[in-house]
Amino acid sequence: MKNRINLYLLEYAINSILRQKSKNFFIFFIFVFLVFLLSSVFLVTNSLRYELDITLDSLPQITVQKLKAGKSIDVDTDMLDAILDIDGVSDANTRLWGYYYFANAGVNFSIVGLNQYENQYKKSFQNIVEKFDLDGNKTSMVVGCGVKKILDKNYYKKYFNFIKPDGTLKRVYLGGVFCGDSELESNDVVVVSDDTFRDIFDIASNKATDIVVKVSNTKEIPTIVSKIKLLYPDCRVITTDDFKISYQNIFDYKSGVFLGIFVIAIFTFFMIVYEKASGLSSEEKREIGILKAVGWRVDDVLKERFYESFIISFFAYITGVGLSFYFVYILHAPLLQNIFVGYSQLKTTFALPFVFDFMTLSLIFFLSVPVYIGATLIPAWRVATLEADEVIR
Amino acid sequence: MIKLVDVFKTYEQNKNNKITALQNINLYIKEGELVVLRGSSGSGKSTILSLIAALNKPTSGEVIVDNKKISKLPDNFASIYRRDNIGFVFQKYNLISTMSVKDNIILPLIPLNLPVDEVQKRFESVSKLFDISHKQDMIIKNLSGGEQQRVAIARANINNPKIIIADEPTANLDDELSRNFIKILSDLKKLNRTIVVATHDPIFFGLDVVDREIKIDKGKIII
Repeated sequence: MKNRINLYLLEYAINSILRQKSKNFFIFFIFVFLVFLLSSVFLVTNSLRYELDITLDSLPQITVQKLKAGKSIDVDTDMLDAILDIDGVSDANTRLWGYYYFANAGVNFSIVGLNQYENQYKKSFQNIVEKFDLDGNKTSMVVGCGVKKILDKNYYKKYFNFIKPDGTLKRVYLGGVFCGDSELESNDVVVVSDDTFRDIFDIASNKATDIVVKVSNTKEIPTIVSKIKLLYPDCRVITTDDFKISYQNIFDYKSGVFLGIFVIAIFTFFMIVYEKASGLSSEEKREIGILKAVGWRVDDVLKERFYESFIISFFAYITGVGLSFYFVYILHAPLLQNIFVGYSQLKTTFALPFVFDFMTLSLIFFLSVPVYIGATLIPAWRVATLEADEVIR
Repeated sequence: MIKLVDVFKTYEQNKNNKITALQNINLYIKEGELVVLRGSSGSGKSTILSLIAALNKPTSGEVIVDNKKISKLPDNFASIYRRDNIGFVFQKYNLISTMSVKDNIILPLIPLNLPVDEVQKRFESVSKLFDISHKQDMIIKNLSGGEQQRVAIARANINNPKIIIADEPTANLDDELSRNFIKILSDLKKLNRTIVVATHDPIFFGLDVVDREIKIDKGKIII
């Protein structure tokens, strides 16, 4: 009997919240907004980090690019044989890739040219060449989900006309649509055969964009890099680690913006907490005095205040987190997402992958709900432990 | 029933400013007795009531109720003692003005976590006894002074306390309402409640229902 929840106390707490509607609604609103802001920031960050990890995992171990006047130019395909002869290199492929600016939509497509009869340097591309015929009767392409949406929007339902460097058009038919593990990676991709790629961009058959190299023993990567540099001093040799550093730098720089938002949110929250903890109004003090005078113990008062603060903070937390999920995964985080995907104007839109990070949500919970409850209980405890006579007179 | 032995009470405003509210108070009140403490404002009447209700502690001396020393009770035990034994009617009623009549009256029962029908039974009993049941859903601040007082009395009686304490109960009432209050006290006395009233209202002086009048002046018992 004694252990059951005291519904009268709970009812008293709810009534007490409603009696101070405007004040409690204001606190609730601020609380919801701060939780929403923080969890949105964390959800976007986590989703992008997930995308980034997948992108980094799919990067080649070594990429060889030729430079001229500091700019990347096409490499000779016969370099491939010399690289394959280096001890420790398990495989090497030439790559054909680039960007095509689609002026009607104002976006860049990433175009990849693949030889259907060779082993592909990426598993996702291997799947594409196994599933779709890029060299059929019609010149065809396989596009990412984002590209498909943009083509549909611009009435390119069956084919697309690429404008070649000489100004003529190259019609390529839509052969299929694919959606990869990572939207960042696959969303804006157009896959065509190597011949189609060369035709669109006017690249000779003995040239390629760059060369990717696989190494069996990852410890040998620095040695192989130095050997390639010795063979081709005019080339830039980039490893996965180099890519990781540059991606991470961009990500960390953008995280700084989020850190700013985070600090502002935390500061605002602690201002509220400080205001709460610094004392009760005379009316609140008098109420506690009355409760003590009619026989409430200190723990009855604290229990009631606990229910009150828990109801406000917990429901504000749930509402804030719920809104942030809606904002990030349904509305695709307008504004916030653009901070990270800064050049999104030139890219196809992409949806953030759903990442449920229990740790992050717990962190926000423990940074907000118990802190608020504590800030409510401390001044109530201070008043409740005074002589009741002192408080009500 | 209620015994105050050599009670002193000093309020310390700061190191150099001490106010002696009570000096060497010795008082005995029998069970079922109705006692009126007379005296001007600041004479110490209210302090005596606070000590009997364990709302405050004496600086020295003992307050004994039902053979139990209540003057040194820890805070939580003092609350339980008040809940079980004391019904306090404050001068300004000390009701929560934004709550309904019913919610104010059942306030002392909330920590007991009683079954719903038991709370309802007790509420109906006191609200009928003090003629306030028809206003049970009204908000306190919308009631008249007399109605507020009846709510305060109902709240003081909902736990069937042995002792009723009233501090300047008629200070905010007109003559008619004051006479009604005396009638209520007389009814409570018939229920064998021990009643202590602190007042300087002459309406209480020389009444049949009052067993004893005790005059307090400057913290001392005069008669």
